[in-house]
Amino acid sequence: MIGVSLSGIIKRYGALQVVHGIDLDVAEREFVVLVGPSGCGKSTTLRMIAGLEEISEGDLEIHGKRMNRIAPKDRDVAMVFQNYALYPHLNVADNMAFGLRIRRMPKDQIATTIAETAEILGLTEYLERRPADLSGGQRQRVAMGRAIVRHPKVFLFDEPLSNLDAKLRTQMRAEIKRLHNRLGVTSVYVTHDQVEAMTLADRIVVMNDGRIEQVGTPMELFNNPANTFVAGFLGSPPMNQMKAQLTETGARVGNAEINLGRAINGNAGRDVIIGIRPEHVTLQPGEQTTALPIDLDLVEPLGSEALLHARFGEDEMVFKADTHGDISHLQGVAEVHVPAALVKVFDAETGRALRLEH
Amino acid sequence: MVDRNADVAGIPVEEVDNKSYAPESTWARTVDHFKREWQLYVMLAPTIIWFLVFLYKPMYGLQIAFKDYSIFRGVADSPWVGLEHFEVLFANDQFVRAVWNTVKISALNLIFGFPAPIILALMFNEILHATYKKTAQTIVYLPHFISSVIIAGIVITAFAPTGGIVNIILGWFGIDSIYFLTRPEWFRPIFVGTGIWQEAGFGSIVFLAAIAGVNPSLYESAVVDGANRWQMMWKITIPSILPTILIMLIIRIGNIMEVSFELVILLYQPATYETADVVNTWIYRQGLQSGQYDLAAAAGLFNAVVAFVLVMTANTLSRRYSRTSLW
Repeated sequence: MIGVSLSGIIKRYGALQVVHGIDLDVAEREFVVLVGPSGCGKSTTLRMIAGLEEISEGDLEIHGKRMNRIAPKDRDVAMVFQNYALYPHLNVADNMAFGLRIRRMPKDQIATTIAETAEILGLTEYLERRPADLSGGQRQRVAMGRAIVRHPKVFLFDEPLSNLDAKLRTQMRAEIKRLHNRLGVTSVYVTHDQVEAMTLADRIVVMNDGRIEQVGTPMELFNNPANTFVAGFLGSPPMNQMKAQLTETGARVGNAEINLGRAINGNAGRDVIIGIRPEHVTLQPGEQTTALPIDLDLVEPLGSEALLHARFGEDEMVFKADTHGDISHLQGVAEVHVPAALVKVFDAETGRALRLEH
Repeated sequence: MVDRNADVAGIPVEEVDNKSYAPESTWARTVDHFKREWQLYVMLAPTIIWFLVFLYKPMYGLQIAFKDYSIFRGVADSPWVGLEHFEVLFANDQFVRAVWNTVKISALNLIFGFPAPIILALMFNEILHATYKKTAQTIVYLPHFISSVIIAGIVITAFAPTGGIVNIILGWFGIDSIYFLTRPEWFRPIFVGTGIWQEAGFGSIVFLAAIAGVNPSLYESAVVDGANRWQMMWKITIPSILPTILIMLIIRIGNIMEVSFELVILLYQPATYETADVVNTWIYRQGLQSGQYDLAAAAGLFNAVVAFVLVMTANTLSRRYSRTSLW
């Protein structure tokens, strides 16, 4: 069963169109993450699902019911906001009970629900505190608690972790994932952080400039990006992209020829962009690898691995290499090896992935 | 070069200058501070001078409240009389009446005049049509910019027994003309009502600013939770602007003895002294018109002490019960 369905969703502000026809089905109990750079329309799309923004064109269905003209309160969705949106004058318990009181739930039932949810979120001892007396992580938990107590059909998260520091974000990310596994509620989550998207999502929707670039599982998107935008957006550091020309045997980049290990057929001479993930590069030659001469510029140690910044012809590239506890062996690297099977090829004009047969 | 990190198993990164520095004296730091920030003090100077000239220097003259003041002998040479003027004041029926009138008018102002701009701001906040909202706001702000003399003129004309709009309307319902401004029982309602009409709009600006500062996602969250506009006003807007309301209330309480002097002078007449004569008008008549400066100074000092006690009390109570205070 489909939890949330968007068909041809368009959003205009006057003459300015910001969302250009979104088609997306989110299955029941699925966790879908909308990810993209600032201004790509992901939050607007989420707010249209919540009913906080009017839909200019297209159809929105939640559990099979058309929702375009339905008030937010009747959509049975709960939303967690970026800045928590906690009422500063109410304590934690009252914040969580707000929506239930508005819906005139009996008092004893409210008390039970709040107690249960507080237990799940580890907030029991903070129920009497006001938001100002809580840490960022605790506030975020209260915001989630306020959504959970409603037992909605759909959870909507609008960049809920972006106000937290890096350590807390990692911790809360895991908590959200556990909570979703436990509650199994359909969730749509917006973020600009690709790590959050990769770690949380059942499926990721990469958006750019008001359009969907690609939808798929995190590993599908990572391994087979549909275009150069997705290739550059997912992965840290992003995929190295270099202008190249297909030849009868591979791809020519500057003076070097990279073995692609697949049939070029009639595509020889075509301008392309080749993509190499930093972690796919090796320092030792392997089966079907191409050696690339590089000018090493900088080594950034990260502990177990290091980032190597280098120049290859006119292109700048970043590679990952294991340190084995020492970076001295990386200082003199003058050549790296690229495995043919892992090199991605994109059309230079459209940026779309070229499917060349292996 | 000694490795200063050696004892914590550190690695010497660079050579460190081991010179020791004597702590700087407070005087040296103060001079440095003024050299660095002198522009700020130059900008602050006019305000400090204003306070000194108009608020602190006149305090010297307060001593005449305890002296038998004569303009020929001056402040310093006039003989001390202790609390004699205060005894005279509290034995004076007219002064006691003026104090009670001030308190009653201020209480009415507080009860009806204080909530008016808040209600107005909440109403403006609910207007969604931008042009209509701006027009309505401009209309209610306008009376604030009209001189009290003109306001008094409008009130006198509107409540005139013949040709006044109020009496004309009463006439439609068969009610005889009322001489509003000569009837003591009508002075307070007219005075307080005029004050509200003149100042409520302008006073709403500070509350509108407070409302504008409320985090919009609180409303969005409430909408998703199912709250209607009425519920959002009661459960979000009013609690969110409560600190501003309390601060304004404390300031208002501090001014409780300061009933608009000009408007009272312009609207009252001997026939309405019974309800209209306030401390400030009494001081004006006694001090300036009758030349009893020492008695007037005692009355003024009494006024200030009462206001000081009230504002201190209000601030303490507010800090204790709502965590909001002026200082």
